[in-house]
Amino acid sequence: MRYETVIGLEVHCELATDSKIFCSCSAHSYGAEPNSHVCPACCGMPGMLPVVNKRVVDYGMKAGLMLNCHINRVTTFDKKSYYYPDLPAAYQTTQWFAPVAVNGLVEIETSKGKKNVRIKQIHMEEDAGKLVHDIREDTTHVDFNRTSVPLIEIVSQPDLSSAEEVEAYLERLKTLLRYARVAECEMAHGTMRCDVNLSVRPEGSDKLGVRTEMKNMNSIEAIKRAIEYETSRHIDAIENGTEVLVQETRRWDDIKGKSYAMRSKETAGDYRYFPDPNVMPVVIDDKWFDEISESLPEFPEVKRERYMSEYGLSEYDSEQLAKSIALCECFEDAYSVCGSAKDAANWMLSEVMSNLNARQMTYDMLTLNGKALGELITLVVDGKVGRANAKKILNAMFDDASVSPAEYAEKNGFVISNDTGLMDSVIKTMVAADPKAVADYKSGKEKAIMAIYGKCMKELKGNCDPQTLRTKLIEYINSL
Amino acid sequence: MDRETLRLLELLNQLKLTEDEKKETFSFFEDRKADSCGLEAIDTSEVERMVHVMPIMTVVREDKVSQPFSREDLQSGAPETDEGYWCVPRVVE
Repeated sequence: MRYETVIGLEVHCELATDSKIFCSCSAHSYGAEPNSHVCPACCGMPGMLPVVNKRVVDYGMKAGLMLNCHINRVTTFDKKSYYYPDLPAAYQTTQWFAPVAVNGLVEIETSKGKKNVRIKQIHMEEDAGKLVHDIREDTTHVDFNRTSVPLIEIVSQPDLSSAEEVEAYLERLKTLLRYARVAECEMAHGTMRCDVNLSVRPEGSDKLGVRTEMKNMNSIEAIKRAIEYETSRHIDAIENGTEVLVQETRRWDDIKGKSYAMRSKETAGDYRYFPDPNVMPVVIDDKWFDEISESLPEFPEVKRERYMSEYGLSEYDSEQLAKSIALCECFEDAYSVCGSAKDAANWMLSEVMSNLNARQMTYDMLTLNGKALGELITLVVDGKVGRANAKKILNAMFDDASVSPAEYAEKNGFVISNDTGLMDSVIKTMVAADPKAVADYKSGKEKAIMAIYGKCMKELKGNCDPQTLRTKLIEYINSL
Repeated sequence: MDRETLRLLELLNQLKLTEDEKKETFSFFEDRKADSCGLEAIDTSEVERMVHVMPIMTVVREDKVSQPFSREDLQSGAPETDEGYWCVPRVVE
């Protein structure tokens, strides 16, 4: 019998706000002292009242609109009760009855073509604290710095059917949320985490099989391996009776390549959801809604098409740039200064990319000043700085975003000199030092001149116009 | 209402009901369910969903960070702390 895998994802993304969702403690405490970004509210002290961070709602709406959701104009917060030391109030403030966004749609593309994945809902909620188990054997240590850091949870319908589709879906979410600048979505940093709900059924059946959930997956490669393992485990259980499948939460061990039962799956009733009496409904009026709608960025596909039609870039170049909003913004800023989309795109896709690779940075980590890049490109096009030295300047601009290309070139002697006297003198010296190359050139081996040309360029430290140097060198040798 | 739902209610509310109490509870919920079903006769398709009993809305604040509280003050009532952490009985093996 042939089987199909049915997968639904719950994706948690940490929102890129400065402060926490219900209090004004910093939301960024990576590497900070334990419990150094906490207050009575996020520590769950009795009597403390939460106050909603407006930007969290802004970002929740933006995420919803990017994912083609309907925005609930009256959205409410609810209490989800469970007891665990990482949750100081013994309930998580989340959204159950009226989440900020519902009924969305995300289009993904795989080797099998395009497909729509339905979004059930996006809700805003607070993160839990962090538990440390390896300081002492007899206790668990609790750090509440992460408590109340704002999250959105994006819940898909069970529309995915393979590891490839899951990867495409997660990449699409990352791109859209990063475009909207609402979340970093970096799994390696823990700012995007994923729960995978999976079941298996005979191909063509409309009845869902027993569902298991793997929680807190934080690498796409691990997710793919886990899906493949779980699919095989389910099919094996159905066909060979190797075990009885039960609805449960499982933990994926990526080193051993196996999943393990953690606990029986909770149902909504277990959490006793009820409206949080401490947070009144959030009412999104027309003005607020319009502000957010108007602040949405161009979608990647729209940008790609515009780069081709408006700037005359190739489909490949447009596609590469549109992969990341950081690349797009840098490119557009550079173009606005240098005036040549083709030059700006070439620099982005060659030198900028190679700097990112060398520094092991993702596209979205790019903080290069695009306008300064435009100035650098102009210096090269105008023949004021040689390409080799321009690369050195770009390197310095990566190290320090405040570097001015013109000032850096001046300070480091990279400005091409108009001193033809110096060029003539260097040509004369280098030609005298290599009579064999001169003889070869005169006997018809035109490439022989390149050895002398290279030495001249090196002696001049790249600070000369390549064409002028070449012309003068040929003229001089011919005059001998 | 079925026996599994009743078992779950017992669990969630940390109750242990006798068989007589179970029968009584069972009967109580069945009656309430019958009452609720009567309400289904009312057409509410044109009625806007109510999210709160009072016509009030929350206030929101700007996304600004303020000075954190003193950790020492916050932990002053804790039974045990260590290197800035709260300590609780070990929760994993």
